[in-house]
Parts: sequence; C-alpha cells; structure tokens
Amino acid sequence: MEMNDPLRREEKKEPTPDRKEGGPSAPDVKRPGRDDILKRMKKVDPKQSEKYKQRTGQ
Amino acid sequence: MNDVVPLLGIETEYGIIREDQADSDPVEESMRLLARCEAKSVFKAWAYNRERTHQDMRGFQVSRLAQDEEEDEFCEEDRKRPYSYWEMKSDRVLTNGARFYNDHTHPEYSTPECRTVFDLVAHDLAGEVIVGDCVRIRNQELGGDYLQLFKNNTDYSGHSYGTHDNYLIPRKLPFDTWVQQLVPFLVTRQLYAGAGKVGAERKNEDGFVGLQLAQRSDFIDSVLSIETMTERPIINTRDEPHASQDYRRLHLILGDANMSPYATALKVGTTRLVLTLIGAQKIETPFELADPVADVQRVSRDTTGTVLLKLKSGKTVTPLEIQEWYLEQALKHTGLSDQTEEWDWVTREWGRTLNDHRQNPEKLADRIDWAIKQSLFNDFMEAEGLKWDNPILQSLDLEYHNLNPERGLYYSLRNQGDVAGLIEQNKIDDAVHRPPQDTRARIRGQAVDQQRDRIKNIHWTGIEFTNGEYLDLSGLITKEEVGQVLNSNKEQFAWK
Repeated sequence: MEMNDPLRREEKKEPTPDRKEGGPSAPDVKRPGRDDILKRMKKVDPKQSEKYKQRTGQ
Repeated sequence: MNDVVPLLGIETEYGIIREDQADSDPVEESMRLLARCEAKSVFKAWAYNRERTHQDMRGFQVSRLAQDEEEDEFCEEDRKRPYSYWEMKSDRVLTNGARFYNDHTHPEYSTPECRTVFDLVAHDLAGEVIVGDCVRIRNQELGGDYLQLFKNNTDYSGHSYGTHDNYLIPRKLPFDTWVQQLVPFLVTRQLYAGAGKVGAERKNEDGFVGLQLAQRSDFIDSVLSIETMTERPIINTRDEPHASQDYRRLHLILGDANMSPYATALKVGTTRLVLTLIGAQKIETPFELADPVADVQRVSRDTTGTVLLKLKSGKTVTPLEIQEWYLEQALKHTGLSDQTEEWDWVTREWGRTLNDHRQNPEKLADRIDWAIKQSLFNDFMEAEGLKWDNPILQSLDLEYHNLNPERGLYYSLRNQGDVAGLIEQNKIDDAVHRPPQDTRARIRGQAVDQQRDRIKNIHWTGIEFTNGEYLDLSGLITKEEVGQVLNSNKEQFAWK
C-alpha cells in the first residue's frame, strides 16, 4: 500500500529527501475555524442521547 | 521470516435507531438494513456449525455463556416474529472477504483478515462506507433520514456493544505469559486508543462528570473471562482461532470504535508490536498492577495520563510511564517483523503521540478521538457558556459517531480538513470491493465474486460448495501458503 504522512509533513519545516519514512499520510491538516460546525452543534437535540436506547451487545 | 502476528482483524457492532419511532425495534431495523445491502455477497449461508465459542484458553470448556441466554431470548422473541433465525441474522459475506450481519441486534461489520495495519484500517473504513450505503438506501425507502447508525460503543444508559480487535498469535507460548506481559499495556493504551466519552455509566460512585478517555472502560469487570456480554474482561479467553491449532486468536473486547483512522492504526499497530515482542520473548514487564480492572476506569478518567497506579510491589507508576516503557522495548528490538514500514510508522507515531500527551496534549486534537472531542466540545461550551454536566454534551458526543455524512461531527471535521485522514480515499474505495491480496480473504472474496451460486455455506475457515467440495482455508496463514493455493489445484478450483 502506498502511503504518505501529512501529519509528519506538517511538522517538518525542512524537507528531508534523504530519509524515507514509511507509513500513511493524509492531506495537510488545516484549521479554518469552527463557526459552521459550532452552529450545527447548536441544532443537535439535547435529548438525543436520552432517546438513544440500545440493547447490550458483545 | 514469518511474522509472530501474521493476521489482524476488527469487528465493529454499530448502534442503530429509528428517530421517527418512539420505540425503535433494533431487530427489525437491523434486519431491514441488511436486506438493503446491494453489495455482491453470499447471503444467509454462514456456517454456524463451525463456530466454537465455549472453549476457554485456560484449557476447559464452559457449558453456558451469557450470550446463550440472550440468544435463547432472541429465539423466544423470534417465534413471535414472521422471520426465521437465518433471516434475522442476515449474514452476508462480501467480495472483499468481510462478513456483515446482525449480532445481538447490532449490525456488525467484520473486516477480512489483513496482514498489515494499513490494510486493516482501509478495510475498517470500507466497512463504514458499506454500512453507510445501506443506511442511505434504507432511508430512501423510508422517505426521509429516519434511520441513524453510530460507530460507537454505548447508549449512555449502561448498554454497551463492542469493537473487537483480533490478532493471530502462536500457540506455543503459554497463555499466561501473554496475559502477564500484555495486561499493563492494554490497561493504558486507551491514552491514544480511547474514543472519548462524556460522563460515566455503571461504576460511578465518585460522581464523575466530564470527558473520559474511553467509551468501553466503564464496562470492564475482570482480567480474564470467556464472556463478552457480562463480566467483560481485559483479555477474552475464548479459544477459537479460526485457524489451525498452531495458533490462538487473541480476541480483545475492551477497545473502542475509533472514528479517527490514525487512532485505529495506532491502537492495532502498537498492540501488534507488543505481541510481537512477547511472542519473540524479548520483554519481561516490570509492571504488575495491583488492581488492573479498577485501573482501566482509573486511567480512563484522567486525561493527563499521570494518575498513579499501584503495583503489587507497593510502588506506583503512571499510564504514560507504562506506555513509554513498552515503546522503549520496541525501539530496542527492531527487525522482529517483516512489516518494517509499519513497524517504523508505529514506533515513530507512538513516540510522537506519547510525547505530545506529556508535553503538549492539545496537539493530539488532530488525530486522537478523545482529544478531538475535548477540543471541539470545549470550543462549544465556551461559545455557549455551558459546562460538562449539560445534557447536550452527551448528545454531541453521540453525534460525533453518526455515520450520516450530513450530521456526523467527526465527518464534518474530516471534510473541512481539521483531522488527519491517514488512508487515501482510493484505497478505501478499493477495499469496499477487493480483499487483501496477501491473505486467505482473497480466496474467500474471489469465491463470493465468481462462485456465489455454488456456495452452500461459508465461514472464516472454509467454503463448502453445492457439489460437496470443501475448500479448507484454516491452514492458509502466511502469504506463501495463500500463494501456493492460488497457484495450484487450478483444475479443482478453476475460478481461482
């Protein structure tokens, strides 16, 4: 499986082409702000977890 | 060199609810969900007669399990329903080698056997895609988004359902050795493997309020047990290798369902690595916890990783110190595995995560589920002037795990690039249809793809065809063994 590592890349200030690091990567992590998601969270039913009844599983 | 731990797998039970009904019937809903699965599959042909759930690793057989009682009750109710047991279980085996069925009223996706951690994470994510597709199709049928599924482990009212990680390990080493060396690691791996939970259930004499590391920790009652629905253990003792008697299948039921693929990879990767060290007899842990069961809860309720755990010697140790010791041993013993790329990734990220936890825990908020929740919920509480005891926090916690792409909070963070994705989308899409190419799952998946009308019954360990032929997969563990079968007997199994 071909892999790259976005988290590692984000932390590296300088590229290190001589060092081959294994493992997966993901796109560069960005933090554009949370306004949209916080607005959505406000719309969540406060009783949702109370209504969420499950049976015991394994 | 053969790996000490040659195969890996994850089983995930999903939570399920109809939001338009006051009394949602999980049996009915789970069955209808499975009925809407459009993935190519062998349906209702699981070979239950090949299950061996009552044999204990400690060398005895139990006569009854709590799950038997539940199954009996299930069957009793079954008689009142217009469905057969087989219809309600709705087993499907897919072309990627996975099993998708109803287990104790929860839709369960069991990945195919994988050889690498990264393949396993891709298949775990493929499970989310497959289950999510079924939800979408079922909701189209219902005419609205009434059915919701959650990749989590609790209903916040004392009912838990599992995410089990499985490792094939050699039988030659005594089971007690595995237990002794592994328990301190398992008690503390929730530092990065915990999915986070708002509040506490069952064992909450101290009135805990806030975010704990793991969803499952409140439900761990023993060190060793064959049970999975009561007296849940740190290490499950069911002796059912789904392979030859040269192996055991270590069946761990104390873990959480991770939304973060990075956390899944670190959980399974570190566990495999520690098992490799134990199997190679390279470590002897200095930690003998005085009360490991209580410590599971103690560790979970301290997000700093510095709570003091008592050893039998009378000394104390912190969860971070235990994890750092295991990492140190791994760094001393490189070269024990064929999976060098994986070993390097795991040791590197394990070290980075433990270091961040100790030095800058806020840095974990891009990849570790409990820390992602902590960051997100803190922002919400600050914006709304709320505290952890507000009921909406548990609802938000639940919504983090929602498989609905329009609602799931983890999916929202992922889509806006706020958390690490780890596995490329094309790898996940591939895993939806295609089995791992280097395990016996490849043979199972190809049989489903090309011979499904000829399959009489199917199991992890083999396939029985309608003409009486039986293809035994139980001895195909290594990549070479799988390749040998694929390259021989072509006349007998031309479809391979």
